[in-house]
Amino acid sequence: MASALAFDAPSDPMLERRRLIHEAARSSLRRRALTSRVAVGVCWLCLGIAIVPLVAVVAYVVAKGLPAWSADFFTHVTAPEGIPGGGVWNAIVGTAEIGLISTAVTVPLGLSCGLFLAQSEGKVAAAVRFTADVMTGVPSITIGIFGYIAIVKNFGYSGLAGAFSIGIVMLPVVIRAGETAFRSVPPSLQEAALALGARNAVIARRVVVPTALPGVITGVFLAVARGLGETAPLLLTIFGNQYMQWNPTKPMDALPLVIFNNSSQPYADLVQIAWGAALLLLAVVLMLNIAGRVAAAVLRREKR
Amino acid sequence: MLSASNAAYIAADLKAPSGSITAAGSTFVQPFFTKAFYTYTGSNSGLQVNYSGVGSGAGISDFQSGSVDFAASDVPMSATDLAKVPASRGPVIQVPDILGGVSLSYTLPGVTKRLRLDAAVLAGIFDASIRSWNDPAIKALNPGVALPAHTIVPEVRADSSGTTYIFTDYLATAAPSVWTLGVSKTIAWPSAAIQTPHNSGVADSIKNTPYSIGYVELAYALQNHFTSAAIKNASGAYVLPTLASVSADADQKLTVTSTDFSIVNQPGAASYPIAGYSWAILLQKQPSATTGAQVVKVLDWTTHTGGGQDQATGLGYVALPPGLQNADRTALLTVVGPDGRALLTK
Amino acid sequence: MRPGDRQAGRRPGLPNRAYRSLLVATAAIFVAVVGWYVLSIVVQARPAFSALGVSWIFQKVWDPTHNRFGLLPFILGTLETTAIAMVLAVPIGLGSALALAHLVPDRLKVPLSTMVELLAAVPSVVYGLWGLIVIAPVFRSTVEPFLSTVFGWTGLFNGPADGVGLLLAGVILFVMVLPTMVAISRDVLAVVPLEQVEGAMALGATRWQVLRKVVIPGARTGILGGFTLAIGRALGETVAVALIIGNSPYIAHSITSPAATLASLIVNNFGEATGTELSALFGAALVLMVIGVVVNAAARWLVPASALSSAVPVAVG
Repeated sequence: MASALAFDAPSDPMLERRRLIHEAARSSLRRRALTSRVAVGVCWLCLGIAIVPLVAVVAYVVAKGLPAWSADFFTHVTAPEGIPGGGVWNAIVGTAEIGLISTAVTVPLGLSCGLFLAQSEGKVAAAVRFTADVMTGVPSITIGIFGYIAIVKNFGYSGLAGAFSIGIVMLPVVIRAGETAFRSVPPSLQEAALALGARNAVIARRVVVPTALPGVITGVFLAVARGLGETAPLLLTIFGNQYMQWNPTKPMDALPLVIFNNSSQPYADLVQIAWGAALLLLAVVLMLNIAGRVAAAVLRREKR
Repeated sequence: MLSASNAAYIAADLKAPSGSITAAGSTFVQPFFTKAFYTYTGSNSGLQVNYSGVGSGAGISDFQSGSVDFAASDVPMSATDLAKVPASRGPVIQVPDILGGVSLSYTLPGVTKRLRLDAAVLAGIFDASIRSWNDPAIKALNPGVALPAHTIVPEVRADSSGTTYIFTDYLATAAPSVWTLGVSKTIAWPSAAIQTPHNSGVADSIKNTPYSIGYVELAYALQNHFTSAAIKNASGAYVLPTLASVSADADQKLTVTSTDFSIVNQPGAASYPIAGYSWAILLQKQPSATTGAQVVKVLDWTTHTGGGQDQATGLGYVALPPGLQNADRTALLTVVGPDGRALLTK
Repeated sequence: MRPGDRQAGRRPGLPNRAYRSLLVATAAIFVAVVGWYVLSIVVQARPAFSALGVSWIFQKVWDPTHNRFGLLPFILGTLETTAIAMVLAVPIGLGSALALAHLVPDRLKVPLSTMVELLAAVPSVVYGLWGLIVIAPVFRSTVEPFLSTVFGWTGLFNGPADGVGLLLAGVILFVMVLPTMVAISRDVLAVVPLEQVEGAMALGATRWQVLRKVVIPGARTGILGGFTLAIGRALGETVAVALIIGNSPYIAHSITSPAATLASLIVNNFGEATGTELSALFGAALVLMVIGVVVNAAARWLVPASALSSAVPVAVG
C-alpha cells in the first residue's frame, strides 16, 4: 500500500493520485495475472490436445506394425501371399534412392529460391512466393499424373520419375519454410556483416544460413517427411517391382507403395507387412529428425 | 487336351528366354498374378515378370501406348479401346486368366440365420428404394427370420471397379425391370450408400458399420470370415458364395469371348450367380521374338493347371474351367513373332 | 572502390551480381516447372471444356454414364473439410507452438517438439485407415449422437450419423496439418529478440501479455507461412480423405453427412476414367488450383503487407 510517510496528509492530491495509481495497478495486475494464467493454461491445453492424436496414431502403428518386424522383413524382398518370409528390402532401397535423389535436387534448389524470396520485395518475388504457396495445396495425385505425362510417357516407368514427382511435392515446402527461416535472421547481424565489407554470397553462407539453420532444418525435415510418406505421386510413376532393383532408371518399389498396395489386400499377413512398413517410415523419419537436430547443434558449435 | 499334352506345354513354358517383362492392370488379379509369377520365376529364375495393379483402365492405357508387355483387365477392351491401338501394332488377343465371385456380405446384429436375397431385392437395397431391413420384400424371401426394423446401410465402391461391373451386370440380367442404374464400373449410387475405395475399404466399412450390406470380391469375404447372403440363381436355387459354387456357375457357360463375356445368373442347382472372369491382353503380332516368347509362355503357364492355376484356390480365386483353358491355349498359339512364326511351342 | 578492396587478394564469395543471378535462376527454374505442370493439366482438361462449355463446373450432379460432370458438391466438400481442419488447427496449433516455444521447460522442448513433428511423417494412407477403423466407429457411436443432441438446434447435425463424412474428414485433416502449423510457428515464436521480451517484462507485463504483445506480432509472417503450408496440405489431401469421407457425390446438408472433395474425386476415378470423364477430372484439378489461389490471396489480405517488411538487408550492386 502507499508508503506510511510521516508527513502524509490524506488530502494531499499527489499522494492521493499515487494511491489511486497503485490501486489501479494492483487490480489491473490481478486481472492481467488472471488472464495470463488462463491464457497460459489454454496453451498447455492446446499442447495436450495436440499430443493426444499423436500418441494414439503412433501407438496404433506400433501395435499393428511391430509384429511384422523380423530379420526377414528387413532383408528379404516382397513376397506374394502364401510365401512366408517376405520382407520389404526392395522397397527400402527404392525409398532410400528416391528420397536421396529428390532431396539432393530439391534442398539446394528450394533453399536458394527461399533465400531469393527472403531478400526480395518486388512484385516478381511476391508472385513466386504466391506460386509456391498455391503449389503446396495441389493434390499429390495430380503431381503424380504430371510425372506420368512428363516422364513416364516419354521414358517409361522408373524410380527417377518418382523422384521427379516427389521433388515437385517437396519443393514448395522447402522454399516457403526456408524463406520463413531466413527472414527470422535479425537484420542487425546481416548489417554488421555488410559493414565489414562482406559480399552477399558470403553473408548468406556465413551469417544467414547458420543463424537460420534450426528453422531451415525444420523446413527440410517437414519436406522430407512429407516426401517419404507421399503415395499418390509414386502410384503412377515407379510402377513397383517384386524383384530387387538398384537402378533408378527402371521400375522400383517403395515403402509407401507397399503400404498402399498391401493394406488393401484381403490377406492378414500382407496387411501386417503394410503396417510394418508404415512403422519403418515413422522410425526413419524419427531418426532423420534426431540426426537433423544433432547436425544443427554441431554446426552451431563449430561457428563459435 | 489336358494332361500329357498340357504337361509338355507347361515344361516348355518354363524354358522361356531370360530377361524381364512388365504387365499392368487389374488390382483384382494382382495377388494371383504376383503369386503365379513368383512361382514361375522360382522355376525359371532367368525371367522376371513384374506386375503392377494400377487399375484396369491404366493398364489398358499403358498397353495402348506400349509401356507394358501385356495388360490385365476385369472387363475386356471394348471396340473403342481397341481402336486406340495403332493398326501397325496389329490385332489384340484377350484371354480369360482367372475366375472370381462377388459376395454380398452384411453385418446384421441379432440375426443368426443366413439371409436369402434375390436380384430384385438387391436392386431395391442398392438404389435405396428398399430402406429398412424388415421390408416386406426381404421378409418374403426369409420367412421365420426376425428382421430388425433398422435402416439398411448399403456399402459400395467409391472408385471404378470390375467388381461393381459384375454385380450390376447380375442385377441388370436377373432383374432388368427393377435395376435402372446401369451396368458399369462406376455407378451413380444413391446418397444413402456409403462409398469407400477398394474392396478392402468396403470390407472394413461393412465390418465396422452395423446394419450394413455391401458387395466384395469373394476372397475378401472368405479372408474376413464375413457372413454372406445366399443369392437366387437362374434356376431359383439360393446358393452361398464359395469357390465351388462360382466354379459351377462358370461351367454352365464355357464359350466366352471378349465381346460375350458375361457369366452371371447361370442356371444349375449349385451355381452362384454373381461371378466373372478377368482378362489378359496381349498383341497377336509381337514386335520382338524374345519378349513375345516370354509373354506368351508366361501367360500359357499362368492360365493352365499344373502352372499358375494351381495357385488360385489358396488365394480365394477360382481356377479356369478346363474347356476355357483349352480355348486360351488355342488363342495363344496364334501369337507370332516378327517373322510370322508361332511363339508358343511344346 | 569499396572498403574491402584494400585487403590483399580477392574478396571471398561470388560477386553480388553473379550471386543474385544465381538465386534468380533458381526461382526461374521453380516457376518454369510449375508452368510446365499447369500447362500439362490445362492441355488435358481442355477437351472437357470444349465439349461441355464452362458452367458444367457448377452443376450439382456427377454422373459420368450420362455425361454429367458437375463439380459443385466436390468444391463444397473441399471447402468444408478444409475449414473444419483449419478452424481446429489454427488455435490449437498456435497454442501448442506457444507452449513449446516459451512455456515448456527447456529439457522437454526437444522431445515434445519431435513428437509433434513425427505426426508429419505418418503416411497419408495410415491416417485414412486409422480414421476408418479406429475413429469412425467412435464418431458413429459417441461423438455424432452427442453433437446432434447438443447442437441439433443449429440444423447442422441432423443428417446421417455413420461415422464417415465431412466431420471425420475435417478432424483427421486437422491432425494431419497440425505438425506443420506447430513446427513452423514454434520456430518463429522462439526467435523473437530477447531484448524485446526482457523490455516488456521490465515494464511489468504478465507472461501472457509478453506473448500476445511482443512474441506473436514479431512472428506474424512466420505464422502465416505455417498457415499457408497447413491449408495447402488440407486442400490437396487425397488418399486419407477418400477413405473416411464416404465419397457421396451429393451436396452434404449436415456436417456428419458423407461427402466428397475434388481431390478424393480425382484419386478414386483417375485409374479407370477415359475420354470426357478423364478431362473432367483434370478440370477438377484446375478448379482446386483456383481455390488454392483464392484462399492464399485471402490469407495475404488478412495479414497486412507490412508484416512482410522484415526483409533481409542486402548490399546494393
